[in-house]
Amino acid sequence: MLSTNREQLVEVAVYGEVWPPAAGYNQYQATSEGKATVGLGMAGIAFTNRVGDPAFGWEADHLEPGVSIRNRLDGPEHALHYLACIGNEAVVTSGSCTGATGVVTGAHAHIMVDFEPDAIELLAIGDRVQIRALGTGMRLLDHPDVVFHKTSPRLLDGLRCTTGADGKLRVPVVAEIPSHLMGSGAELMADYVDQDFMTGDRVQIAELGLDKLRLGDLVAVRDEDHTWGRGYYRGAVSIGLIIHGDSAWTGHGPGVLDLMSSRSGAIAIELDPDANIAWQLGLREPSASIAEPGSMISSYAALAAETKEGSQGSA
Amino acid sequence: MRDNRHQIVGVSVQGQVSCPEFPTLPASPYTIGADGTPQLLLSAGGIVYNVRVGDSAYGWLADSVQPGVSVKSPDFAANQALNTFACIGNEAIVVSGRATGERGTVVGKSGRFAEHVICHFADGVLEELAVEDKVLVRAYGRSLTLLDQPEIQLKSISPALLDALEVESAGGNGISVPVVAEFPAFLAGAGAGLLAESGSLQIQSDDEQALREHRLHELRLGDVVAVRDLDSRWGNGYRQGAMAIGVVAHGDSPRAGAGPGITIVITAIGNQIRPTIVAERNLATMLDLASPARIGAQALDVG
Repeated sequence: MLSTNREQLVEVAVYGEVWPPAAGYNQYQATSEGKATVGLGMAGIAFTNRVGDPAFGWEADHLEPGVSIRNRLDGPEHALHYLACIGNEAVVTSGSCTGATGVVTGAHAHIMVDFEPDAIELLAIGDRVQIRALGTGMRLLDHPDVVFHKTSPRLLDGLRCTTGADGKLRVPVVAEIPSHLMGSGAELMADYVDQDFMTGDRVQIAELGLDKLRLGDLVAVRDEDHTWGRGYYRGAVSIGLIIHGDSAWTGHGPGVLDLMSSRSGAIAIELDPDANIAWQLGLREPSASIAEPGSMISSYAALAAETKEGSQGSA
Repeated sequence: MRDNRHQIVGVSVQGQVSCPEFPTLPASPYTIGADGTPQLLLSAGGIVYNVRVGDSAYGWLADSVQPGVSVKSPDFAANQALNTFACIGNEAIVVSGRATGERGTVVGKSGRFAEHVICHFADGVLEELAVEDKVLVRAYGRSLTLLDQPEIQLKSISPALLDALEVESAGGNGISVPVVAEFPAFLAGAGAGLLAESGSLQIQSDDEQALREHRLHELRLGDVVAVRDLDSRWGNGYRQGAMAIGVVAHGDSPRAGAGPGITIVITAIGNQIRPTIVAERNLATMLDLASPARIGAQALDVG
């Protein structure tokens, strides 16, 4: 059992409301292949998608599974973003579903909360959701060189980390992402939302097997120090969580939310195909996933793969 | 090499001399370094009197210093147009205040939200300029295309800069471009996922050893560099076989994922761009910034 300072952590309520998807007057975005698309996937209630489902293959951009919430007031919105931790308990506090409980599974443009579908059948946009924020400041007493972000004690327990013979913190992850694929979000601090891994090179993504990742998978990135900001630093190791789906835009892709980082490399990576928070937190069983990872390819990914193959060997 | 400059339309975009900004209290004024150290540093923008194109991109006690004069429009839509249409090498003309009529040159773009166009003016002009003086840019170069290599995209590049870059046909549909350094995509940081039509892509400088290995530690503001496997056609992102050419627009930053920022000027995805490493390739000499007015005028004379 890893010893933590969890008895010193303070639990506080933060809140938001179920947030509507928004569209602009000119909603078109250029894909990595220069085609115009209309994005869908962020905000609202994702009726079809929960954490544990494939991160790829949806005809959607930056798919946020479950229920997306935010706060309409700037200060409380930032408190929601900075203080809500993965694994925190959420409860609906207004509307027809008052009392329904869920679990925080991601922080992107909105905080994502997973609920049992039956419990939120009548959930409405604008209904209020409150979160018992707990986790900020948590550390492992025997691993001072590992910094945590947005990790609740409940999540830490679910991750099943151990201490290796070399004293490093061993963290089970589904896959490793090479640092050269880390993209949009490099300019943000590690405590704020996520950093996408870039999927524009569809051939390479398939070669690495990253197109089989699920929402909720744990991943590792070597040579990235995400202690304070997010950047390349040889020997560092960062651990992240896949929180949102793939994207058609250049420099974007599934979102990697920072959970841990060690500038000195005090994290050891342990590959484990079951390292997904949907089952680690007891939210779902793997068999409940709506589709098998890798069983679907989005139209934009198919087009990009085709043009990549076509461009190889030219010039 | 043939291009379509005879079809390019020159148009006025305008902003005003910007002022550095800080978050209002009670926000922290500190820049948090990659190692967590808070520092109080100059923020980007304003009239920078003692840093010019051609100077080092490193060592300044400022976060992402922008040489010369940073111009921005207070109107969001007008600023988008300014930052999207202005091209490196375009003429910038002071149209209000004591320096009215003075001419300078666009040398870069920067800012996370692509808010600044960076202009070079002679030292004497800097003395006369005031914050909020209006600066008009003769935007000329958007949609410039190499007629025999249409798959190669040109961005933020005036015909004057295209000529000065000494791009040459390299057989097939390829081109060669002289640069001072070529570096791998893993060192490209902030700016990934953002559009390449304005703003900058930053060279990550936290790992000094990696900078040295790729000869990036002696970069100067205005240097021309190449980024391997970077596809900047519709935004900045990784793609094996792609290449992007940029010009160093602003200085180093202690923040993680940040460092000297480059304004993208050429990109293609199919190995068409072949950088050739040369000892010196800098806007200060390429655009003859000692007499900047001539360059803009030349560009507009074409066609």
